[in-house]
Amino acid sequence: MAPVKKPTVKKDKKQKREEYRAAMREEGVSSLPRKKFYRQRAHANPFSDHQLVYPPQPDQMDWSTLYPDYIAKDSQEIRAEGGSSDSEAAIPKRLTQDVEVADIGCGFGGLLVALAPVMPQTLVLGLEIRVSVTQFVEDRIKVLRHQNAETGGYRNVSVLRANTMKFLPNFFRKSQLSKIFICFPDPHFKARKHKQRIVSTTLNSEYAYVLKPGGIAYTITDVPDLHEWMVQHFEAHPAFERISEEEQDADPCVEIMRTATEEGKKVERNKGQKHVALFRRLEDPDW
Amino acid sequence: MAVPYHLLKACGGMVFAAQGTDIHSFNSNLEYVSTWKYPVKPTETTDISTENPAEVPTGATPDVSAPSTPEGPPAKRRRTETGTDNTPEPTATTTTTTTEVPVKKGRFHRSPVQAANEKPFINCLISSRDGRHLILTTGSDKTIWVLEHDGQGNLKQLSQRPMPKRPCSITLTGDGNTILSADKFGDVYALPLIPTSDPNPNPAAAADSGSSTPKPILSRSATPSAAAAAAAPAAGGFKPQANEFTVHTRRNLRALENQKLSMEQSKQLLKEAKTNESEKPSFEHTLLLGHVSMLTAITVGQSVSPQTGIPREYIITADRDEHIRVSRGVPQAHVIENFCLGHEDFVKALSVLPGSPSLLVSGGGDDDILVWDWLKGTLVSRAEVLKHVKEIAAEAEKVAVSRVFGYQTEGGETKVVIIVERVPALFSYTLNPSTNTLEHSGTVPLPAIPLDVQVLQDNKLLVAVDTSSGDYVSTLVVVSTAAEDGSTVQTTPAPNLPAGEVKYGAEELQKLLYTTETLRKLSDFD
Ligand SMILES: C[S@@+](CC[C@H](N)C(=O)[O-])C[C@H]1O[C@@H](n2cnc3c(N)ncnc32)[C@H](O)[C@@H]1O
Repeated sequence: MAPVKKPTVKKDKKQKREEYRAAMREEGVSSLPRKKFYRQRAHANPFSDHQLVYPPQPDQMDWSTLYPDYIAKDSQEIRAEGGSSDSEAAIPKRLTQDVEVADIGCGFGGLLVALAPVMPQTLVLGLEIRVSVTQFVEDRIKVLRHQNAETGGYRNVSVLRANTMKFLPNFFRKSQLSKIFICFPDPHFKARKHKQRIVSTTLNSEYAYVLKPGGIAYTITDVPDLHEWMVQHFEAHPAFERISEEEQDADPCVEIMRTATEEGKKVERNKGQKHVALFRRLEDPDW
Repeated sequence: MAVPYHLLKACGGMVFAAQGTDIHSFNSNLEYVSTWKYPVKPTETTDISTENPAEVPTGATPDVSAPSTPEGPPAKRRRTETGTDNTPEPTATTTTTTTEVPVKKGRFHRSPVQAANEKPFINCLISSRDGRHLILTTGSDKTIWVLEHDGQGNLKQLSQRPMPKRPCSITLTGDGNTILSADKFGDVYALPLIPTSDPNPNPAAAADSGSSTPKPILSRSATPSAAAAAAAPAAGGFKPQANEFTVHTRRNLRALENQKLSMEQSKQLLKEAKTNESEKPSFEHTLLLGHVSMLTAITVGQSVSPQTGIPREYIITADRDEHIRVSRGVPQAHVIENFCLGHEDFVKALSVLPGSPSLLVSGGGDDDILVWDWLKGTLVSRAEVLKHVKEIAAEAEKVAVSRVFGYQTEGGETKVVIIVERVPALFSYTLNPSTNTLEHSGTVPLPAIPLDVQVLQDNKLLVAVDTSSGDYVSTLVVVSTAAEDGSTVQTTPAPNLPAGEVKYGAEELQKLLYTTETLRKLSDFD
């Protein structure tokens, strides 16, 4: 084997990044994290296994570390009998309320941060598949909570690493959510990769499952084809109906979705178009 | 390498056993009756004209032999090399010629007929309740075969339908008219047991010849019928579209064609549409639901709807990512009623218990099998498996349950027999109906590794065992369930059968026979 040249420059960069991120994990950091230390390649295959952590079912999800200010007072963590690591009998601490809003593929968390003060009574969760991007959002929220300690701001938003295309029902019970945001999803232009799109007729059944009747799925994209695709697939799904433009324009979340997401800002800078479509979760028909 | 029987089906007083690419039938005394053979030589066709979009004629030049359809120009039928075709003559109700998708040579064409260097092998075998039909799937060519059984053990091929992706598990709806096929990419399709005479059996070809307009955004599976979507009211209640997921109609393609696209996109999409069409079957098949995970098992359950009190059917699907999903039956399969969640490793086998149809038993990579009230989505009880495996194989650390077989004894008890991959025993459990728990009622040691199990008359179990290791020759074993203590295992010497045409290497055969443990994720957190 020929000796491998060490990519010294790269290693320095990596080291720096790690040091920076370790420092961000310290208590009491007050400056917001910088994105350049959290970059990761753009795509993660939703079909592969990854090294994901997720609860076997929603009742076993420990939300207390994500929303520590919402732990029910009388709630006690029930450990598995005999202190074994068997998660079967373990019941995590309960919260006073459930997560009701999910940002699917939240990226760097712009939407979460903007929604936090707009719906202070609601628990909002970002879900993101990329590890370091998730870590960025975690650090970002931590600093924001610290900076806003007096007002108690940002305690209602949090983030989780997850592959939503596989594991949504592991986190959320049937009809738990009132809003789902799908902002600037990866377009996957090639037909061969369409199954990787985060909106499809079959996946929409899962969104319908976690959304309560009357709940809303919000979509926005700068790619006309993808907009068309999402509209077609949601409209073709009997559990959803498109929301009228009037109602759409009157919804304050739409403006936030347009302007607060990192992708939305990027599109703004590049003077691109933004296509919005909202869909209401209908009651299931009798069966 | 001698191929053992690896799939069994007992029905209508007969026993069918899959051996590689063959199905043998036996009467109730386990005497050999006949064999159905997979037509080994695939129909290979090179259709150069469709390779380059520029060469596709815009006006149809109908082949004289092409059947004309009521709507539009005749479908362009692709030439098949006669003489290399071993397929028996199709019956009047089938459309074998049009369902055969020709092999295309080209970089982007994944051959729908034969996966490279993979030999055909039967990977699913089921029967209709009346025993009149056998349905099987072969892996390498992703094909669903329907055979007709004359009641005497003779089989005749009715249809062969290559699916978009490899079927991993199949079942029939309660009325016996529809095949549900669960595939490797997570989708479930419904197909009529007997293929209908579709007015437009080959939409791809028709669209090819019908116009030069590019066909955009043809998703491999998830494209909804745009026509149906357009017809539905823009707002307002439930849209009763029984076939909103149908992907086979020509209207669907037409509606998609009407989309406006920029020139560049058109070019790109045209290229891709070509690729996709080669994967799109031409017979009626409806996408019902999908997981983003490999499906491992599908079954149906019957229950009175808690909502309306009407008896209804539900579709239960399991995947490699520990999920068991309960969806409504057709035409509301898009509604997920529940998930049965609690497995911490892959799920491989499902059984709705005969006699206790509200209960579902599931097994896979976990140490236990789980009992569910499937309609409520609640875990009712668990029964240990690893513990009992250790009693006969002390070194075992994990199990891969490959079969969960529920049945009712003639005495009215509900029993579950399971096979754990590579463990030479059957594990038997009896349902305690007052607690809905499964009590381990015996471990039956076997002379070789079991591959499949069925129940025969007189509470006897028929087991197919792996003889490929060579030291045990009889491939069928009859177990009296009265002998759960392991005292009597009666072996039935298999009749001398003609060797199958497809030969497998030793290692290759192992891979084909033992697929369960491979479902486990490499990065387990234990
Ligand atoms: C183009 S970005 C948009 C980010 C953010 N919503 C915004 O508008 O700024 C899409 C994000 O979805 C994430 N993503 C893609 N597939 C996902 C999946 N299956 N589960 C969770 N996140 C996913 C990607 O990692 C990426 O960060």
